Amino acid sequence: MITLRLIRLLVGAALAALVALPVHAAAPAAGQRVAVVISTLNNPWFVVLANTARDRAKELGYDATIFDSQNDPAKESQHFDNLIASGYAAVLFNCTDARGSIANVRRAKAAGVPVFCMDREIEANDAATSQILSDNYSGCVALGRYFVEQVGETGKYIELLGLVADTNTWNRSKGFHSVVDRFPGLKLVAQQSAEFDRAKALEVLESLLQRNPDIDAVFCGNDAMAMGAYQALLAAGKAAKVKVFGFDGADDVVKSVAEGKITATVMQFPKTMARSAAENADKYLKGERKFPQRTPVAVELVTKANVKKFGDYGRK
Amino acid sequence: MAVSVQKIPTIPFAAVCVSGIALCFFPLFRVVPLQTKGAVATAAVTGSGDAAPAAFDPAAFTEKFWRERLTPAAARATDSTALVPALRRDPAAAAKQFARVAGVGGSGYYFFRGTGRVTAVERNRVLLDLDGVTVALGTGPLFGNTVRDGTGLLNVNDFPGLAEFNALSAELNRLVEAQVFPVLRERARVGATLAFAGCAEAPESIESGPLLVVVPVEISAAP
Repeated sequence: MITLRLIRLLVGAALAALVALPVHAAAPAAGQRVAVVISTLNNPWFVVLANTARDRAKELGYDATIFDSQNDPAKESQHFDNLIASGYAAVLFNCTDARGSIANVRRAKAAGVPVFCMDREIEANDAATSQILSDNYSGCVALGRYFVEQVGETGKYIELLGLVADTNTWNRSKGFHSVVDRFPGLKLVAQQSAEFDRAKALEVLESLLQRNPDIDAVFCGNDAMAMGAYQALLAAGKAAKVKVFGFDGADDVVKSVAEGKITATVMQFPKTMARSAAENADKYLKGERKFPQRTPVAVELVTKANVKKFGDYGRK
Repeated sequence: MAVSVQKIPTIPFAAVCVSGIALCFFPLFRVVPLQTKGAVATAAVTGSGDAAPAAFDPAAFTEKFWRERLTPAAARATDSTALVPALRRDPAAAAKQFARVAGVGGSGYYFFRGTGRVTAVERNRVLLDLDGVTVALGTGPLFGNTVRDGTGLLNVNDFPGLAEFNALSAELNRLVEAQVFPVLRERARVGATLAFAGCAEAPESIESGPLLVVVPVEISAAP
């Protein structure tokens, strides 16, 4: 009899737990906290991404806090430890490392904290709840076509890569090369990472220009590097001759495109991505469970011809 | 004695049944297959239940996709006699009715077939008179995602990641350049009639020049 009672209790508890699940999932959002974990705030583009995610989460009724990983996976890992221990309800996440960050996302998931990636992909399909990502490859196909139009079918160029551990770096590079490599007269004379950083790009290009003084163009994997490259060219007296191409749609570069200093960039839409991630988190916390793992967000080529349509990290 | 013989086996039997039900809800352990990410994704995209731990092979996938899915789908693509009048009337409404959109804010694409008369052969394209309008069939070089995204048959979430999905574009473009463009160039003579199936980006408005710029996936003799 004791055994039967015990088993009834167990089964009853199991059924009660099952019934209780939807009730918990439909709980209101008030008072819950959302963490916005950002790879770096040392780049205005990521500041816009972070602030928009935080502000949208607040609009939706959550307390939201930004954590800056300073491009350091160890700091990012500490942020996850802290936010899991502190009882955050969800994470809006811009990772430092496409593979290295997976463990953080899995740890949060195991603790019942859903993670919503923004802009930067993690290379796992079963860790994050959703990933809202720019279509970098398509953007750089368009940029590559414009590069060939502007530079011509012959010339020498340098490529400044972003962080090598970020898939955006390679999706951009591959999109660009899928076009430019079809023109054998266009010679890549140097390819080096400047880690998406303006100061680093200045330093790297200054060094590369010593060995390659006769280049026609520089393709940069983001706008911060494009600005650094432009500064290096300006200092070397080559800014008028060498064409610089960026990627992001950062405000200073959009202005530089209008002024003819930078030849082109590609507008990503950080506000769209950040808002979508926050809205997905809200839906999740209100009970929705079906999300596409990856959602590509379209990007647009920005040139002197259409630059008036763009500003403030999006279309005007 | 008879009473105890009846009672003793009854309780364990009930306990075993109820324990079984309880264990359905709270299993003591789970068997998890040892799979790599790539193997899982490969199984997903091939529709195979056998998740062999093999890396995703975009070239092999694309060859199979072309043969088994793209070619049959091209036969059922939207007919130009439905698409072209709708597009001339209202590009936005036509896009809503016929275009496929990948992701957020991305371009719409048409996957359609038609028959037209060649009016010009240029360096990178062939112009066709199609139901009273001019469309261009590209002859290369081919870049971008028009074929990958235009057919509506491929979804990014069926693949291991964006890098693998992007690799499909390169492979599909390679097949178009190797298999379709040579046939198009050979048959494109001013005045000739060509039947085609292909993908084209949906225009937001009617501009001067060709109504659509088509990446052909199939060229055949006109019926």
